[in-house]
Amino acid sequence: MSSTTPTAAWWLPRRVPEGQSLGGRIGPLLLDVHRGPGEWQIAFSREDETLASSFARLELRMGGLEAGGGAFDRFILRGPSDRLVLRPLLADRPVVIRPRQPVFLPSGEEITLYMSSPVTVRVEAGEPPVLLRDVPSLAMSDTWFGPSTREGELCYSGRTHARHSLAEVPRRAHRAITPVHIRNEVESPLPLEKVALPVPLLSVYGAADGSLWTENVSLVRTSASDLAALRIGSGPPEYAGAAELISGPREAHGRGSLVRAFSHLFGNGA
Amino acid sequence: MAGFDLLDPGNLAMLIRAALILIVGLLLAPLAGRLVVRGLGQRFSVHHTQLARRLVFYAVLALFLASALRELGFSLAVLMGAAGVLTVAIGFASQTSASNLISGLFLIGERPFEVGDTIQVGGTTGEVLSIDALSVKLRTFDNLYVRIPNESLIKSEVVNLTRFPIRRLDLKLGVAYSEDINRVRDVLLAVAERNPLCLDEPAPLFIFQGFGESALELQLSLWAQRQNFLALRNSVTAEIKAAFDAAGIEIPFPHRTLEASRPFPVTVVPAPPAAD
Repeated sequence: MSSTTPTAAWWLPRRVPEGQSLGGRIGPLLLDVHRGPGEWQIAFSREDETLASSFARLELRMGGLEAGGGAFDRFILRGPSDRLVLRPLLADRPVVIRPRQPVFLPSGEEITLYMSSPVTVRVEAGEPPVLLRDVPSLAMSDTWFGPSTREGELCYSGRTHARHSLAEVPRRAHRAITPVHIRNEVESPLPLEKVALPVPLLSVYGAADGSLWTENVSLVRTSASDLAALRIGSGPPEYAGAAELISGPREAHGRGSLVRAFSHLFGNGA
Repeated sequence: MAGFDLLDPGNLAMLIRAALILIVGLLLAPLAGRLVVRGLGQRFSVHHTQLARRLVFYAVLALFLASALRELGFSLAVLMGAAGVLTVAIGFASQTSASNLISGLFLIGERPFEVGDTIQVGGTTGEVLSIDALSVKLRTFDNLYVRIPNESLIKSEVVNLTRFPIRRLDLKLGVAYSEDINRVRDVLLAVAERNPLCLDEPAPLFIFQGFGESALELQLSLWAQRQNFLALRNSVTAEIKAAFDAAGIEIPFPHRTLEASRPFPVTVVPAPPAAD
């Protein structure tokens, strides 16, 4: 593998012989996994997402860790298996994403927005795979999503914009794209300033070109509150081509469940 | 009970029966308490489960004790009457305990905090270990066990630090009069945006507090998840200092300007000769 060729399907299992390391970048995340005698070592650091490249490039090399500036975690693992899997997984809390410009959705109207959320890289080694640790590709900021400071939910701030057109959504190795279909069935217009995407309920699919996808999400506003009826499609969206399932959802969700998806109170904040 | 003969086989059997009833009671009461805890499961708070367990424990024990006394030939009506008189006497003698007991009932009804919450009472801050009939037990952060009487909890201000999931950190700052307030504001808000513990929303708040003696007084209010409150305070203050240093913004020391109507008489003293 040449050192300048991006790695398309970076989530595929690899073999790491003893004394060698698998390392490189997944978007802004610089990750190194080294296999020592009877142990694995993981080191990582992050670059600024706006400046870092958006592709993944992983390669096998001799020697120890390069990322992390000397800090690393050690994991003792018995057995001779040299199998290593880096698997993308969505965040453990909903991600709040804003449209580029606040829009209003009048009664009876619907819209499809494309949102991208950063993945966590789950490092698994051995046969059968054993979880070593989860490394978020991006250190997302916390944010509060709810009608007041007493009622609501702690989420991550997406720091990106939702787009109307799929062509505008950049394909990045560390972000999974979700098509979100929003319909307003209430008489009053729905201000779309922020949307909380319930990513713990979504799976990650990988396409052959290295782009990551989640299922289609449908949010229907049926009452004049911040709650929406959530429906999650089955399988990857039609745009993803023959994408394969890489990891399932973190949490199961009940059919027809309500989620806190729209926000009213802190709408005009930064 | 005059003429009670312990060696009389009838009396001995009676005593054994009473003792057996008491022992069965002592065995059954904790069992019933545990059953109640299991029955209530996770549906109720720790505090209410504890309360229910104690109530059931003492009720079962009291029933068996009463049965044992009846077995011994005591009349319950007389006992109750005696208990009433005794209660009045004890009530007068132990006003503090009674007051704590009543306060405890109010605390249970009002529920200003629950077991596991972190509260601040007077100068004591700690995690609530239990809410009992007479007192509340706290574990402070330096791992001390503190007992606070219920009466003082009812009378004084109690701050529950963990009731709501997010908290606001208010930082008071002062910058030199020569600084541009808008620039300072931009630097502070950029620090807040970079810190991942600082919530994006509710948005950070910048307040101009006034013209101080030596500095422009400012306040930066940031929101954080309550578990991250201390971590945010430690990290953001260091980041603000670094950002001010990088941007050349001065945090002034107190200044004093002295003006005299006449020039001060100043004497010039010759420098002492060098030691070598």
